[in-house]
Amino acid sequence: MSITVQKVARAVKAEIARMTQAGCSFADARLYDEDSSEYLMLQDGNLEANTARLERGIGVRVLKAGAWGFAATANLAGIPGCFDRALANSLAAARLLGFPRDMGKGKASKGSYRSPVGKDPFEVPLKDKLEFLKRADASLAAPHVAHRFVTANFQRRKVFYWNTEGTEVDRWQLNTFGNMMVMAPDKEGRNQRRSHELCGDGCGTRGFEWLTDPTCFSANAERVKSELAELLAAPSLPARRRDVILLTGMGFLQVHETIGHALELDRILGYELSFAGGSHVRPEMIGRLKYGSEKLNARAGIVENSPGTFGFDDEGTPQRDYLLIDKGILVNVLSSRTDLAEANAKAGRTVVTDSGTAARSCAFYRPPIDRMTNIDIDPGSDGTLEDIVKTTEDGIIVDAPVSWSIGSNREHFHFGCEIAWEVIGGKRTKVFKNPTYHGHTLEFWGALDKVGSKETWCLRQVPNCGKGEPNQIMELGHGLPVMRFKNVETGEKE
Amino acid sequence: MLESRIRDLLCTARDEARKQGINAEFSFHREHSSLIRLGNSAIALSTHEDLTRLDITVFDGRKTGDYGLTSDITTLEQLRDALKKASDNAQAALPKDYEPIFGAVEKTIDDSGGFDPGLESLSSEAKGDLCARVVKTIKPKGNYDFSGSWSSGSTEMYLTTTASKNEAYRKLTDGRLVLVLKEQDKKWELSVEQGGKSARDFSADAAIAEFEAMLPVYEKNPGYRTALGSQRVMFGAQSISQLLTLAIWSGFGGRGWEEKRGFTSGNKPGDKLFSDTVTILDDPTNHNVYRMPFDFKGIVRKTFPLVEQGVFKALLYDSATAAKYGRKPTGHDIGSGDFVFAAGTGNPGIAAGRKLAGDALFIPHLHYIHLPDPARGMFTGSSRFNARRISGGEFTAPMVSTRITDTIPNVLSHVVAVAAKSVLFDVSATYGRRAPEAVSVPEYLICDNVRINDVADGF
Repeated sequence: MSITVQKVARAVKAEIARMTQAGCSFADARLYDEDSSEYLMLQDGNLEANTARLERGIGVRVLKAGAWGFAATANLAGIPGCFDRALANSLAAARLLGFPRDMGKGKASKGSYRSPVGKDPFEVPLKDKLEFLKRADASLAAPHVAHRFVTANFQRRKVFYWNTEGTEVDRWQLNTFGNMMVMAPDKEGRNQRRSHELCGDGCGTRGFEWLTDPTCFSANAERVKSELAELLAAPSLPARRRDVILLTGMGFLQVHETIGHALELDRILGYELSFAGGSHVRPEMIGRLKYGSEKLNARAGIVENSPGTFGFDDEGTPQRDYLLIDKGILVNVLSSRTDLAEANAKAGRTVVTDSGTAARSCAFYRPPIDRMTNIDIDPGSDGTLEDIVKTTEDGIIVDAPVSWSIGSNREHFHFGCEIAWEVIGGKRTKVFKNPTYHGHTLEFWGALDKVGSKETWCLRQVPNCGKGEPNQIMELGHGLPVMRFKNVETGEKE
Repeated sequence: MLESRIRDLLCTARDEARKQGINAEFSFHREHSSLIRLGNSAIALSTHEDLTRLDITVFDGRKTGDYGLTSDITTLEQLRDALKKASDNAQAALPKDYEPIFGAVEKTIDDSGGFDPGLESLSSEAKGDLCARVVKTIKPKGNYDFSGSWSSGSTEMYLTTTASKNEAYRKLTDGRLVLVLKEQDKKWELSVEQGGKSARDFSADAAIAEFEAMLPVYEKNPGYRTALGSQRVMFGAQSISQLLTLAIWSGFGGRGWEEKRGFTSGNKPGDKLFSDTVTILDDPTNHNVYRMPFDFKGIVRKTFPLVEQGVFKALLYDSATAAKYGRKPTGHDIGSGDFVFAAGTGNPGIAAGRKLAGDALFIPHLHYIHLPDPARGMFTGSSRFNARRISGGEFTAPMVSTRITDTIPNVLSHVVAVAAKSVLFDVSATYGRRAPEAVSVPEYLICDNVRINDVADGF
């Protein structure tokens, strides 16, 4: 702990004690001693983004009379004023009080978390990183490719947390994201694209060495070029019902939008209605709702190498691994400590007992809200992708999102994908461009009839999940296998 | 103008950079933001953030590097350190195959015309009291619950570069109030949105009146499930703002056009794109928008037509795209604009609009709109708040969640009527820094032949 952090710790502890004396039932503070990011992007060989950023400051929360107040400042000499502002905000909020906000009983946590890292990308010279990206860009060049994009995004956060219960934890999180994409106009002059995101098996380290591991990134260049060439000559997907096999590059978004967001407790309780929306799930459904087929097992998991793994959430609670959907039945939701009592009261019985350790904030100047961590689908026993294809009479395999539009309560959805492969009689036959599919959440997950085995399971990263007011962009992960859904509406009628 | 303490630091750092032969752009951003969130008819959270940000871009021939800082910026040492980091980034960068455009602030601008001290200092208590009035008036009338948010604050933006001593400064206030009423059993949702530059733009009475006007149709009628296929749709301010911004993003960005990614890529200025009643422009003089007087390269922004009476007029070029494709930048290094969908001749007021529409679907909000096929301008999004069936010129039933999947050219080529009155609609996103943005849109837009491709069971 540096001298600056020690000074801040002393000031924060004094302020937390002052808030307790002032009648607050809870108070906490998060110091972002370092929040560094670097974004590099090459388009057609030109370095179009070469940006580094540092953010540093403190955010504090105060809970008094059942109402939350939050304030943030970059002025570390002004911590008492920041607490005063948060207290004033809580008092203002208490003027229109509904269900009193309640942190329940907590116990003090102590500890540190470090992301597993081999080579810290912030210690790698910029020239070396650019040389790597330049080589990746060059590998995407081909006569049929009109535009090439290669991006890398690195994040390093050193966060210290204290609260009234005596919790003192810190975490050092490091994230590495990478993407490559090729584009070209098809025979009708309409743009097609194919891409690959840095992904892996959820094990190992997440530093610069992950990006430079060819199997995770650069070795995919030939495949995306080749698939773009197929797309350029392909017909559009004809509209009709058929089975849909989601590769993990598309399945992660299905999980994200129709399981992850739908199960965030603040959405369920109506706290996100004015922006992100609500949920088709109601508190009383927890433990009873048939969310999908018996093949569906979803969890808030701890995956070693994922941006959704952070050790302690932004309420200082140690992250835990738990099932959300067990053999198709909804058994839990994504929560922080704040909303548990309200959920149980609204359900008329105890439906949630412990924090889902999902209180997360994206920066020192944003308060924690209920967010996804790693929302994973457990592997099944239906073998490899090819095993599933062999049993498919009439379907498509789809990969990689182009568009996503979801009903405000996550009850229905429409997704566009980069590519589809037709499957007829157990064999892949041809490629379709402009594939889309749409459906209704519970009906869709109820139609899940094949879940790939462990060898199809892949950890996908989401660097840009948006939610909250003020808005917050969060990083998380989805580990999942290949999945098949029966009789889905696909394509667009002309 | 920006307070002298930080302005002097920035000018000193700029002058030092110039003496060292460094070409650098300095951008300073300061926000005072506050927000209350409502949930379960109560204030769930009240926040306040005071933030300053510094961004420096250094040009080293064909190489550029950026460095940004969100911190308490109080010393020259911090600026020198940030400048060095940006310079180091530029030095290590790969050269581009075109000459990047170095920003020269065209002239000194000092614009505080959009600043209202009343809105900047609007307290959480005052916001809470306004919301409480609405909640206490409407909630007893049914099984209702309220949620929502109210963001307000001030933003200062300051720009100077080593190309000259010119400085561009802007200070403004903005706010956006969203109140959502949810019926607890039937699950329908109504919303009232207010946005503006002044504390006077927010009114409990107006919100109460708007809710009261909508409630009877919702209370007395079951949800309407329309047939799939083509329908007449009357759009409202939020959904028009969504169509407008999507149309601009996917059709009128210079880069998308040059790289044949947008729905106008097969067209050129002069081509007819939409109905005669469609005129779209970027207009920093319009009273309904937040009027950004300069872009982040220091270019003075002017009225810029994109579509006039359905005819394609021009494209927006940021400096990087302009440099790459040999065009002139158009003052659009801002990430957004002051976009206007020009008013038409339809009688003012939603009531007049529904009479004009006759039999139609009223979809004033589109939720989670996205582009499955940008090259065709294909969009998809579902109805949400305040959507109602119009029969014989009257609202007759609330609509369950209804999805439109169509193309922007198709929708804007079948325009039946455009309202004569325009409104400000705040479209500010608060991801990252405070960046006030509003569009001016007609109160309603009636279009035929809009494709409905899915209808949900509920609202």
